[in-house]
Formats: sequence, C-alpha cells, structure tokens
Amino acid sequence: MSSALRPRPNDELGEWGGPPLVRGKRVLDLGCGDGRLALGVAPFATRVDGLDPDAEAIAEAKRNARKAGVRNVRFAAGAAQHLPYPDAAFDVVILSWTF
Amino acid sequence: MVDALVEIHRVLAPGGTLVDARPDSRVPAYAERRRPRGFHRFGVVKTARLEVANDRASDRAIARAVREGFFKRRRRGHFWHLVPFSSLSELRNYLRDHQRFVHRAEWVVDAATRTRHSNDQFVIRRPVRYELLEALRRRK
Repeated sequence: MSSALRPRPNDELGEWGGPPLVRGKRVLDLGCGDGRLALGVAPFATRVDGLDPDAEAIAEAKRNARKAGVRNVRFAAGAAQHLPYPDAAFDVVILSWTF
Repeated sequence: MVDALVEIHRVLAPGGTLVDARPDSRVPAYAERRRPRGFHRFGVVKTARLEVANDRASDRAIARAVREGFFKRRRRGHFWHLVPFSSLSELRNYLRDHQRFVHRAEWVVDAATRTRHSNDQFVIRRPVRYELLEALRRRK
C-alpha cells in the first residue's frame, strides 16, 4: 500500500504516546518501506534503523533521507527473521502496518 | 512470525518497547461522504478473508510470545484513520486495487443517492489498532 495513504508519522506517534516514546532512544523501524515513519521519528530519536525486505523500497527510503537531510537514519534490506543487528541494540522496535 | 518476535526480543534491550500497529480487521471500515459538517455514511467496507486470517495469525504469535515470557503487554489503543478521495469513483478504484479490503463496499444508501453525490469528496474511515509491549529479561 502506498505510504501516502497511511496515517502521518506524527499522528501515529502521537497515538502511541508521542515523542517521549522515542526521544533519545535507538529505534528500529521493521518493515520500513520507503522510510516514511523512520524519517518521521528521526528528529526525536538518537538513531533510527529501517529494515525492509524490499530492496527497491530501501533505495527509495535512502533517497528520501538524503532529500530530507536526515543524518541519524540508516536503511538496509533484510528479513525480520534474521535481523542484522547485535543483541540489545535498540530501545524501541516499531512494527507499523507490517506484522 | 514467532521467529520474528524472538529476533525482535533479541535486538531489544531489556525493558525496551515493541510497538505493534496495524489496521484492525475485527472492526469494519466505512465509506463516507464529506459534508460541510461531518460525514454521511455510504457503505461498509470489510477486510478480505485472507487478511483477517493473517491478522489472527499475528495475534496468536504475539500471544504466544507473551505467554513464553518474551514480552509483557503494557498498553493498547485504537484510532480511526481517514483515507481521502476526490470522488466516489476514485474510492471504488482504490477498493478494486486494494488487497486488504474486499473489492466492493456494502452500500447502505440507494443507487440514486450514490449517483447524486458521485462527484463529492469521500473518505474511507479505517480502524487502526496498536499495542505497546515491554521486552522482558528471560530466565535462562
């Protein structure tokens, strides 16, 4: 589904508890697609990683991050069953319209 | 899905938060016409059977991860998301192409009313659920 037809990141984050949920945290956006939500929470988080099995979506997410000038976000292609991160690497994992 | 939750638990610091947010297939969505004040309900939009089954499988996976001590449920909630359309035909095209919904709404207004307002602005009001879970330190 086009991410343009989903709730805006700030609206979604607001429902979950607002910026305090991710402020100063290491965040993983699992199934990040074009990076819509990862880029939306990046201003509040220390670092955001976005992972998605769709390599084209990841390329788009990287383009979107460059365009937005966001520097604390990294995107990678991969599957949720084999996360390419060390133990206890994150404070928050987000499954938004993914699971 | 349980494999993915075990992986998520591994990469989450103890006490960390898992947010699970998705459309709520247990509640129907609605096709509504925008009025100057408020909305006029035109139809009910159900979730496709396969998607309902997938959602139930996700629910079972979360429940199992909680039962096995990976996570503790902290908070859950629900909100409505409005998807805008410039006309009724645009809404219909969206439904036809959308995998999550059944491809036709069940109209609650007659055909004449639909025709009369076909160029009005519409929305699909869809339910979204979320749950916050806390990653627990598991005993070896």
